[in-house]
Amino acid sequence: MAEEKRRKVAFPLFSHYNLPIKYFIETSMNAEYILQPPMTRRTMDLGARYSPDSVCTPFKTTLGSMIEALEAGADTLIMTMGVCRLGYYGELQEEILRRQGYDFDFVNFSEYATGKPKDYLKVLRQVDPKLSLPKMTRALTEALRMVAHLDEIEELYYKNCGFEVHPGDYRKTRDHFLMAMQLAAGSHDIEEGYKTVKREMAAIPLKKPDRRIRVGVIGEYYTVMDPFSNLNLEQKLADMGVEVHRWMNVSNRNLHYHEKNLRVQIGDYCEYNMGPTSTANIWAAKYYASHGFDGIVHVKSAGCTPETDIEPVLRRIGAEYRIPILYLTYDTQTSDTGLDTRLEAFYDML
Amino acid sequence: MSKNIVKEPDTRRLGIPRAMLYYRYRVLWKRFFDELGLEVRLSPPTNRDILQQGTAAAMDEACLSTKIYLGHVRSLLDGCDLILVPRVASFGHQRVMCTKFQALYDLTCNTFPEYREKFISYNIDIPEKKDEEGALLALAAGLGFPRKAARNAYKQAKKAEQEDWKQRCRTQERLYQRKDLKLLLVAHSYVLDDPYIGRPVTDYLRELGVLPLRADVVDRKEALKQSLRVSPTLKWEFSRELVGSVAINKEKVDGIILMSAFPCGPDAMVNEMIPYKFPEIPTLKLVLDDQSGTAGMETRLESFVDIIRMKKGVL
Repeated sequence: MAEEKRRKVAFPLFSHYNLPIKYFIETSMNAEYILQPPMTRRTMDLGARYSPDSVCTPFKTTLGSMIEALEAGADTLIMTMGVCRLGYYGELQEEILRRQGYDFDFVNFSEYATGKPKDYLKVLRQVDPKLSLPKMTRALTEALRMVAHLDEIEELYYKNCGFEVHPGDYRKTRDHFLMAMQLAAGSHDIEEGYKTVKREMAAIPLKKPDRRIRVGVIGEYYTVMDPFSNLNLEQKLADMGVEVHRWMNVSNRNLHYHEKNLRVQIGDYCEYNMGPTSTANIWAAKYYASHGFDGIVHVKSAGCTPETDIEPVLRRIGAEYRIPILYLTYDTQTSDTGLDTRLEAFYDML
Repeated sequence: MSKNIVKEPDTRRLGIPRAMLYYRYRVLWKRFFDELGLEVRLSPPTNRDILQQGTAAAMDEACLSTKIYLGHVRSLLDGCDLILVPRVASFGHQRVMCTKFQALYDLTCNTFPEYREKFISYNIDIPEKKDEEGALLALAAGLGFPRKAARNAYKQAKKAEQEDWKQRCRTQERLYQRKDLKLLLVAHSYVLDDPYIGRPVTDYLRELGVLPLRADVVDRKEALKQSLRVSPTLKWEFSRELVGSVAINKEKVDGIILMSAFPCGPDAMVNEMIPYKFPEIPTLKLVLDDQSGTAGMETRLESFVDIIRMKKGVL
């Protein structure tokens, strides 16, 4: 019998979440995880070249990132499911890549999007046929711990890095932490790395004035979380001396999400669940508006239907609470300087 | 109880926007509210003014169909006591609607907040156990109609809808038998039937001597089944009906036209996939936007028809 080949697996880049995916794959399966290089202008150009024009921007970004993963040696691509157009990304991207002549195996969670653990196992056995349910569960639990830590540290980072006494302290600490998570080989490494970064961050001297500007960042799932896609929006705000808050992350939206509990708190604004992240974003906007924040930034990619559809709601919240809201739409042409200008104008308004 | 109340004529006027899901549910809605005894007022067929009003009310980035829809709502605001804005999210696993229809009610309420009290809705969301009958009965109850009357109205309305649908499918089937040059129009009903954006296309095709057929009028059950053979993860109900219809009817037509209102989320992806899956059929992609003037559209249709005629050797 031919020997099982050891697969080289990749997933399109998405914020810091490729690290727990890497951890999950390498600790539960006989497979190597390929981490493609960080996204650049080239990633976007590659993706845009082969994508339909009016598809949302993350389709293009993730397509470009898949190509760069294949170039980096991956032979198996994994794609997620999703409740909006994201759920159809995988099939169309596979079709497009095959037409471009790429040779790879494609593991698409959308084909099994029933939400049953047994089905997830079925998908993942395409990568490693010997994967067992206990092994999967254990690696998944540990990977999700990593997700929780990454999200918590990122939250601390953007809330504080604009106020450090010695510029660069926060970045250095966080980079160490990210490196530790990339190298983590077991649960112990994850917890140690987390304790270290917590300790180090607590020791960084800060100069936070009592009256400081606080901005809440909300918006479309991928673009709001992925710094490449939003052109480092949060870092830019922090560098202006803003305390940046963002509720939206995988921990909050996917792991601890209870849509109905949030929706009852925004009953004045909507009756139904309007889309995949709609309730969360309306809730977060109302939360920031009613907790004395100075402004809100709403982020989405061009062509994002659900986020376009909550804008009338956000406008009402903005008017009723008299809080400025900056609406940013990112497409493949959005430029750094354009964003800087808009952020400066927004900052002056606050 | 209700028996003791002297029945007075219902003077409330219900407005129904002639856009979006109207084109799918018109028979059901009309009969249902007629049976209940509500006066129904339809907004006028889409015209320049409605589109302008809608464009002013909608977000810039909203799709053309949303702009048209909000224009229709706008035109009903002052003359009606109630306005029907359904919320339709899902018909089951892998049978969802574009998130637009999930958001439509709240989107409309927040676009016209001062009229919020007028908007009435019903909610179809099968995974949440909200089906059409339950939803319409709940709506009728909310309007004060006795349950029995509502149930009867629904029964009548459903029957009328099914009969009408059967009739439409039969008529469409007969058209496929004709000898003319036949083009299958693949578009959402609310695009195809809209007098301002879709109708000009069918009218012009007829002028060119082409018989336009509609992909949306098809045995829906069979189309849903076929669609998964073509595209296994396709999940939008309307897109699945259309893709399935192409699979069923492709041999009976000379070409297909993929028509979409700019920028349609599902269509942007599905209309990319269709030509990949059916490379043998001549295909034209037509994206309709709010630019006035039909000259561009006509030129493209004309040359597409010419090419097909040339291939068939009749030109």
